[in-house]
Amino acid sequence: MSEREAFITNTKCECGHQNPVGTVLCEACGKPLGKESDWGENLEMRYDGVARRSQRVNPSIIDRVWNFFSSVKIAIYLIVLTLLGSMLGTIFPQESTFLNIDASSYYKQEYGTAGDIYYRLGLSHTYESWWFVTLLVMIGASLVICSLDRVLPLYKALTRQKIRKHRQFLTRQKAVLVTEVQEEPEAWVARVIQPMRKKGYRVKKDGGALLAEKHRFSRWGPYVIHIGLIIFLLAVLARGLPGLNMDQHLAFPQGEITQIPDTTYYLKNEKFTVEFYTDEEMPEEFRGKKILPKLFQTKAVLYKCTADCGDPTKEPQLAEVTTHDIQVNSPLDYKGLKAYQFDYDLTPVLRSVQPGLKNSTTGETYGKFKLDMKNPQRTITAGPYTMTLKEKYMDFGLNEDGQPISKSPYPNAPAFLFLIQGPNLPAEGQQYFYFPKQVDKSQFQQVAINDKLAGSNRFLELEVDNMSDVDFSESTTYLNIRIDRAMPFVWLGAAIVMLGLVLGFYWQHRRIWLTVVNGELILGGHTNKNWFGFRREIVSILEKVDVVVDEKSIDNGGGLT
Amino acid sequence: MGKARKPIQIVILFLIVLVGGYAIGSSVFGGSGKPEEGSKAPAIDLLGLDGLGHTLDEYKGKAIVLNFWGSWCTPCVKEMPALQAQWEKWKDKDVIVIGINVGEDQMTVENFVKQVDIDFPILMDTGRDAVRSYGISPLPTTFFINAKGKIDSIHIGQLDLDSLDDQIGKLVD
Repeated sequence: MSEREAFITNTKCECGHQNPVGTVLCEACGKPLGKESDWGENLEMRYDGVARRSQRVNPSIIDRVWNFFSSVKIAIYLIVLTLLGSMLGTIFPQESTFLNIDASSYYKQEYGTAGDIYYRLGLSHTYESWWFVTLLVMIGASLVICSLDRVLPLYKALTRQKIRKHRQFLTRQKAVLVTEVQEEPEAWVARVIQPMRKKGYRVKKDGGALLAEKHRFSRWGPYVIHIGLIIFLLAVLARGLPGLNMDQHLAFPQGEITQIPDTTYYLKNEKFTVEFYTDEEMPEEFRGKKILPKLFQTKAVLYKCTADCGDPTKEPQLAEVTTHDIQVNSPLDYKGLKAYQFDYDLTPVLRSVQPGLKNSTTGETYGKFKLDMKNPQRTITAGPYTMTLKEKYMDFGLNEDGQPISKSPYPNAPAFLFLIQGPNLPAEGQQYFYFPKQVDKSQFQQVAINDKLAGSNRFLELEVDNMSDVDFSESTTYLNIRIDRAMPFVWLGAAIVMLGLVLGFYWQHRRIWLTVVNGELILGGHTNKNWFGFRREIVSILEKVDVVVDEKSIDNGGGLT
Repeated sequence: MGKARKPIQIVILFLIVLVGGYAIGSSVFGGSGKPEEGSKAPAIDLLGLDGLGHTLDEYKGKAIVLNFWGSWCTPCVKEMPALQAQWEKWKDKDVIVIGINVGEDQMTVENFVKQVDIDFPILMDTGRDAVRSYGISPLPTTFFINAKGKIDSIHIGQLDLDSLDDQIGKLVD
């Protein structure tokens, strides 16, 4: 309460200017306000002594919220809390770093009770948790409000600077000189302008008073940093919007055009190659023990769907848009869609065979037809014979009742049941079981099955001539498909932060006020850092107008840095 | 100058609440992206065994029992007769049973439907689009969707044949 009363009493300066509550130095003449006993040796020059926006009497609820976020102290607490929170997220790997794990059991299995507690506390996804995001939002709010609360009053104060300042304002700066001058005040002040301009100062004169100022822009550095940080935060936030960010790991079997989900793009792995280090190339301790890949490369073709996309009844029409040989660190990149080499699987997958129908009594072979593992032809004509595909098993096996079933949807042990009709066969046709893989033929006893189905005097057999009639997908490549459209804005934000840092660090805002009254020169100087260089600059300027002073004598205490 | 300040403060605080609310909201409700009980059933657009494209919107106003299956999965095969029985019982009472085959070709699906003798609508998810949007890992998985298009319950694994009837009854009420 007493503080508030003090604010009310002391807002009008003796120069007649009415200052807002919270002003430290009169906005017009620079005279320190408030009780004399509160004044220190040097002036409080932060924000040029003007009141921050948040300092006001009888704050309303909105003011209170505003004041909370405008406090630098709160901002520091928020940053420290965020740092501590971030540390929690580094104790165990985050869920997002794994593919295909069941988080609820993984952490317990891998890290024991500690892992289980970690998971239960939600720390396995720290950076997506509500409290972490809340902290980030609060930091964002603090950035915006702190900046506005300070930058606008500061801007006003610096653009409306009065040239003639109160004597107190000058003599209590950290760089001060009071000395005798014989000349006419106006003439002396006019003489000092030239050397000041040479040093890059912008000089304003008002009779026997002068204000020289340079590199004011460096004061905006921190606020530029804040703008950059806000853009950065917004960009990171925008990644959550649909279509702006995608990160998935997909399998691309060789030779198959596969859709990239949630996009209109299709990618074909034309050929995957992997080279391994030879024993000679590896260090001795690895020889014969390890197999290390030297190069893995996917020849990829990217297609874009041009018509009939997403219509399940039609085949999509694709147009090739780009090709790239994807290697580690050399992704395919098309309009922000990137495909990185991630993993591979060299297990061959049978795709189709081209058997012929052989008549074992005459030795004749009829036709050669393509039998696809997926969506095969259902009726095939081979010479005088018609074959109807009745059943198809991708991974042949028998169930508890002894009936043939497929154990999985993958063509590990494909089997086909045909009904063959034609000359010298029973009118209802003859059943024929066909196992394309040699190993399955013997394991499941194709001959015995067929003998049982058709009797031992059957004469037709499906046979593949040579390996060129067998089509394998030799390998599968795994690609990491990413889209990150927010990334340019992240970089932009980072660049603006850098610009702000350079502005703030490599230049200093330097000001010199001086008045010549009654044969006395009173000079006060202020900068935000490098007082040593500033004092030297003042001394060298004064030298040019034949005022010789010792560098140290300008130091009014506190300005050592 | 005090008067011009307030609207600006309000606008800025409002924007912060808006953007911040979105950020925090999506971290709380965004979850894993998998549909959960109570959330809206994701849209699908798949080829049916009848040769036509089908979406869930076609069955608006009806309760849906959405069963994901594969011909090679034994529990899927076992629960088919029960699903067929429920389909016959409820089809006149605004309940529809839909089977979604996961990743197999038309011939396999057709043979299977004939073999287990079912006649409820079957859709084929060859590209595993529905599997992804419904977050299916093991088969079978069954979603019970109410007439408002909200997921009432999710059953992973073979259906409990005793409670299936009650579960569907609950959907209709």
